[in-house]
Amino acid sequence: MRYILRQTALTLLSFFFLYLLVAGASFIVFPNPPSNGPRDFQAADNTIYMTVPKYVFLGRGVLDSSDPKVILVGASNTGVGFRQNLIQSRLSCAKVSNLGMGGANISEVGQVIDLVHEVQSDDDRRSNTFVIGIWFGMFVDSELKYADADRNRGETDIDIERYRYGFYRRTPNGPAAVLPPKWLDAGVTFLRPFLLIEKLARQARTGINWLVTGRGSAQRTDAEREIAVMSEEEKHKALDYWEESMGHKSGISAAQVELLKQTIDKLLLSGEKVVIVDLPIPAWHRDASPYESSYREALKDLLQQFGNRPNFTALSMDDLDGNLDYSDEVHAKRHLAEVWSIRLANVLDSFLCQDKPEKQRQVTLQSLKPASAGSKN
Amino acid sequence: MNLTSPLFFAFLAATIVAFHISESLSYRRFVLGTANVIFISSYLTDFTQALPLLAFLLLGYACVSILYVRKSPAILASGIVAVLAFYIFLKRFSFFEALGHLPFPYLSIGLSYILFRILHVMIDVRSGDLVERISPLAFFRYTCNFLCFVSGPIQRYQDYNVTDGKELVPLDPSKVYEAFTRIATGYVKFAVIAATAQYIFLYLNQPLLQATALPPAKLCLIYATAASLYTIYLYFNFSGYMDIVIGIGSLLGQSLPENFDKPFSARSFLEFWQRWHMTLSQWFKFYLFNPLLMFLMSCFPAPALTSYLGILAFFITFLVMGVWHGTTAVFVIYGLLMGAGASINKLWQIACLERLGKKRYRALSQSAIYIYFARGLTIGYFVLALTCLWVTEPSQLNSLVIRLGVTGVLGAFILLGAVFAMVSLVTDFISERIAAPISLSAIRDGIIVRNLTLAGKMMAIFAVTSLFHKAPDFVYKAF
Repeated sequence: MRYILRQTALTLLSFFFLYLLVAGASFIVFPNPPSNGPRDFQAADNTIYMTVPKYVFLGRGVLDSSDPKVILVGASNTGVGFRQNLIQSRLSCAKVSNLGMGGANISEVGQVIDLVHEVQSDDDRRSNTFVIGIWFGMFVDSELKYADADRNRGETDIDIERYRYGFYRRTPNGPAAVLPPKWLDAGVTFLRPFLLIEKLARQARTGINWLVTGRGSAQRTDAEREIAVMSEEEKHKALDYWEESMGHKSGISAAQVELLKQTIDKLLLSGEKVVIVDLPIPAWHRDASPYESSYREALKDLLQQFGNRPNFTALSMDDLDGNLDYSDEVHAKRHLAEVWSIRLANVLDSFLCQDKPEKQRQVTLQSLKPASAGSKN
Repeated sequence: MNLTSPLFFAFLAATIVAFHISESLSYRRFVLGTANVIFISSYLTDFTQALPLLAFLLLGYACVSILYVRKSPAILASGIVAVLAFYIFLKRFSFFEALGHLPFPYLSIGLSYILFRILHVMIDVRSGDLVERISPLAFFRYTCNFLCFVSGPIQRYQDYNVTDGKELVPLDPSKVYEAFTRIATGYVKFAVIAATAQYIFLYLNQPLLQATALPPAKLCLIYATAASLYTIYLYFNFSGYMDIVIGIGSLLGQSLPENFDKPFSARSFLEFWQRWHMTLSQWFKFYLFNPLLMFLMSCFPAPALTSYLGILAFFITFLVMGVWHGTTAVFVIYGLLMGAGASINKLWQIACLERLGKKRYRALSQSAIYIYFARGLTIGYFVLALTCLWVTEPSQLNSLVIRLGVTGVLGAFILLGAVFAMVSLVTDFISERIAAPISLSAIRDGIIVRNLTLAGKMMAIFAVTSLFHKAPDFVYKAF
């Protein structure tokens, strides 16, 4: 027995030594950014967190402040289409964070909002303005949306991050926190050596990709996206892809629509502000998609329900549907993203910074025509 | 209980500490028995889920008890039929759908390995190889040993009983370090290498199973790569599991048998199976191949036929071994492929011996070209046959084979064989020429470097495991 205990002690001691060594290296290579500042979560690749879901889950502690905050949530088109630095430069009264997450559905957007709430007090929550970017592709049930072979069916990227390091555990009623949210930063500090090793592993994979394919990742750069033009074959493939992804031949998930309404209602009841952005897609996709009409119906219904509520507004940019302004069937090119960002910044400025945040608004689709800023491309 | 979960490590630490608290034999057996109960219970959400397993164990024990009293061949045959029928019923083989099934969910993990242990005890009791009476608790500890419960190895009762609760070879610092290293190496194989291979395999698997339109050459290349990755995954997953349980076993005084012996260095299909899943191969050799061959020889006593009866016995043995792996028709194909591989190999040996004679055949089989050619052929064939373990739906397998065509399958076989032969050649060339200088060996074997290496493995396991979205699982648990 004593030999087993001795060997256990030696192993743990050696492990602790290595752990400290790598932890030290992680602070040198990736020092903690200044706390309490806005963060561009889309720049996750340049941080120790590597991916947006991981950055949002582990790095959200920065949102624990009483300062007015604008928090963008949605899918990748929210992440790509709204440039945090551009919006921030035009918005002096709040700190802007873009938490748009690739492949998010409404359930995952709700999870991101819950994660933000977890690290905030009730009082601090009232300084939140959630900008929720939506389009029909987000109204897919999780069981359909998250069915890859390398994940447990129905688990979102946020779920994966919750369970990855044991901060949460699976229960029949969903994820249950193991580590209290107030210990999040301590937990992240503890994880640093492993995050650094993971980062190195991912960098190695990028290196291998460079050797094999001549490029680091399959993701296109801004410059490549800017010159991309979709062929007819690619458009057909994209329509097929969305038909397969949506799980129905037509119509969006009613459950996801209901969930969005509940999420907005909950936010408004807790004194937070909500901006719904109806994200445009290229005209060819909008016109060919069998999901657009049910999405429009749902949106109209939603705006009727919340349009008169204080602290709620909406933005539509449906004039920005130029086919050549999109790098694919969903994502805005850089020049269009700048227009999106300016339009959102103007709406936010008027909504948050012009000393009339509680004004009543009659929000309808007709009244959501573009504000003065930004030009159509 | 997932063997990578913190709960398992806590359970393991508690079991090891409890085992070593006292040297009393009855106490230690109590600890091992309790550990088995806790381990199995971790798979249950309701006690009723364990009832079929309990019934299976009771049936097995009843058969064994009767055989102790009456060593009649008829009782043995009836017992084997009863145990096999109950096993087939519980495993819900697709060919026996008509048998129906129990109307509630129940635990089926471990049943295959329990079956092998029960049959072995029954046969050995009947033959007189096992004289000592087995108590019900000893029977439970043996059949449900938590270390071997999920995926083996299949240990003989006689070997298990020698170490049941005993510590024949006292532990010393070196043995404990070896056990820790074995466990850590097992987890590296399982959680790092196998998990990475599985991750890439799942990525490549999709266009193959979803019938995505691909040019023939690309389809063939993707198929060969996916099949190779599955083999790597299977080997490192299973052999990693073996390292883990053998390492843990040595801390609990148990000497579990090895299950792998460098299978990829095999020079023939038959040799491959002497090195891969060895305890399963040996079980089939003792309890199916040998009795079957004896039976065939008694039916056809002409000496000239003996070799050919051996081929038939090989075919049947490997067919059954293949079918054991799963419950659908695809596993019959797998069994047929295994049987064909073994029979052709045996036929080749007989033909070579007849044509070349012993001396020239030995010279041929020792030539480097022959060795690497045979290795390539063996592994290429095995890798292709394993497709049945990852394309388990008959319609999917049919579709894949049609899309590949004869040219595609042959192309993949030649590609796999050639690549493996080359890799094997290069690996042998390098390993024969690289040896650590003596000065470095001294540093490497020093207490600090040894323990830092161990800790480094642990760190790699934690880091890589957290990279993947799903906790890895043991592949043979499903068989």
